[in-house]
Amino acid sequence: MVLTGTVLLNECQKRLIIMWSYRFNFMLETFMMGFLFVGISFFVSGGRPEPEQMAPALLGYLTWFFAAFAISDMSQGIREETQTGTLEQMYMSPLPSGLLLAGRSVASIFISSGMVILIGGILMLVLGIRIPLRPEGVPVFALTLVGLYGFAFFLGGATLVFKQVNALSNLLSNMLLFLNGSFLTVERMPGWLEAFARSLPSTQGIDVLRRVVLDDLSLASVWQDGSLVWLTVHTAVFLFAGWGVFLWGERVARRRGLLGQY
Amino acid sequence: MSRLELTVESGQVFGFLGSNGAGKTTTLKMACGLVMPTTGTVRLNGYDVGKQRGQAMRQIGAVLEGTRNVYWRMSAWQNLLYFGRIKGVSSTKMLKARAEQLLRELDLWERRKDPVGEFSRGMQQKVAIAAALIADPPIVLLDEPTLGLDVHASRTVQEWIIQLAEERGKTVVLTTHQLDMAESLCDRVAIMSHGRLLAHRPTGELLDLFRREFYQLRLRGMVEAEESGAFPGFTASRENGHTVLAGEVGGELSVFELVERARAAGMDLISVSPAEPNLEEIFVELIERAEETGGQDGGLELEAGGRPAGTEGRG
Repeated sequence: MVLTGTVLLNECQKRLIIMWSYRFNFMLETFMMGFLFVGISFFVSGGRPEPEQMAPALLGYLTWFFAAFAISDMSQGIREETQTGTLEQMYMSPLPSGLLLAGRSVASIFISSGMVILIGGILMLVLGIRIPLRPEGVPVFALTLVGLYGFAFFLGGATLVFKQVNALSNLLSNMLLFLNGSFLTVERMPGWLEAFARSLPSTQGIDVLRRVVLDDLSLASVWQDGSLVWLTVHTAVFLFAGWGVFLWGERVARRRGLLGQY
Repeated sequence: MSRLELTVESGQVFGFLGSNGAGKTTTLKMACGLVMPTTGTVRLNGYDVGKQRGQAMRQIGAVLEGTRNVYWRMSAWQNLLYFGRIKGVSSTKMLKARAEQLLRELDLWERRKDPVGEFSRGMQQKVAIAAALIADPPIVLLDEPTLGLDVHASRTVQEWIIQLAEERGKTVVLTTHQLDMAESLCDRVAIMSHGRLLAHRPTGELLDLFRREFYQLRLRGMVEAEESGAFPGFTASRENGHTVLAGEVGGELSVFELVERARAAGMDLISVSPAEPNLEEIFVELIERAEETGGQDGGLELEAGGRPAGTEGRG
């Protein structure tokens, strides 16, 4: 427990130090993220965005932000650390790599949460959007996040072996923004696209989150209608598949000596 | 890598020599657990890297070549604390004391709060070495530790390597292209080519071996090419108005025979002496022999022995 706490704090501290050294970029990015939301909302609403209509979009957008952060962290982050050699140093640790990666993921969630609170807070204040804080939303959000990180581990494992998956990560990240139901309703998509959109990480989570947080539904009711069950299954599949691919990537990278090559 | 079998004794500075692609870095990375051998085992102080990873990793600190090894956006102090924790140093008090000691020894204490990215290449390398030593591992692995450093920084790193082995009893395993550095630093060297070990001996012994085989004849005046033809395989060079013939003695050609031939050819012989070889000559010679035999046999038998306190590989 102490070890886990130390690893977690160590990773959080490192991330904050590095982020602080890029503070100007970070501020610009935060501004850009806020501006992107306003721009897309304006476009989707035909130039007349209403705060009530923007609440579900903002909830989806902020969830997508976590996805984009996790994907970037696991693919671009790993690629950069492979080039700089710090990934090799991590793999020379006597601590289990799973613990270190879990520590990194939790640190990543803390950092992205900070950014989400900042972006979300500013947007809610400026645009008059109201998203109620409901405790029922916490387990749904946690399940969504776990699934997202499972997906990010999937990409991380692929990055260890193939290295040049950056373009794919960017594509997936942008695809998620438009297909996870944040701005465009999934039900209105053609059948094949709806099926594809629903299979993506975060789509189901956003759907359940909206119903629990914005429509005031209880956890029991979303469990009974099957949407929470589907989210749980979805999360489990992404988590185990993602972790499996990551372990595979590690094994192949160790066999071929790819942990420090690019 | 193929059929690699060697043991490094504790407290030694051991050097891997070889041209690009020889397998030096791969061997080092196998010891670090970053590359897994398809067959065989790597043991660090008796711990199997594949099966006892946690214990094995506690035995080493490594600085790998061509990479930064540390975070450039973080200060030297922050890097040492970060790497100390991921290397399992649980006591913050002990970690800070160790970090301070290392930074002071490496003359980095005054700049401990500056980002490593603002340091010179030599200082960055010192931070990487300090990070490798933060958990006080008994074995230090250094891949091309002086590559890209200026003369002063290179000398500082070399002095530190000697200090690590002599004063602190660390086992230092390094790879290098700089043969003069290997000659001055290493107690023992392994020469590699195409993933094979060609020679593995104490540095002095390797030099002695070649010293016995090579001789120099110093002759007064200029010796014509046809005259030096009496010494097949010997190279001729001019030195202070004299001619120096250098070559291998052995088989039918003894030192006595060499002198006889010089006298018979009417040469004015000044001296006959064993040539002082350096590692570079030995290295070139062994690589040439390996290429002639298709890398099957470098001409020196491999030697394994000593306490199993360093790295032992077979892959």
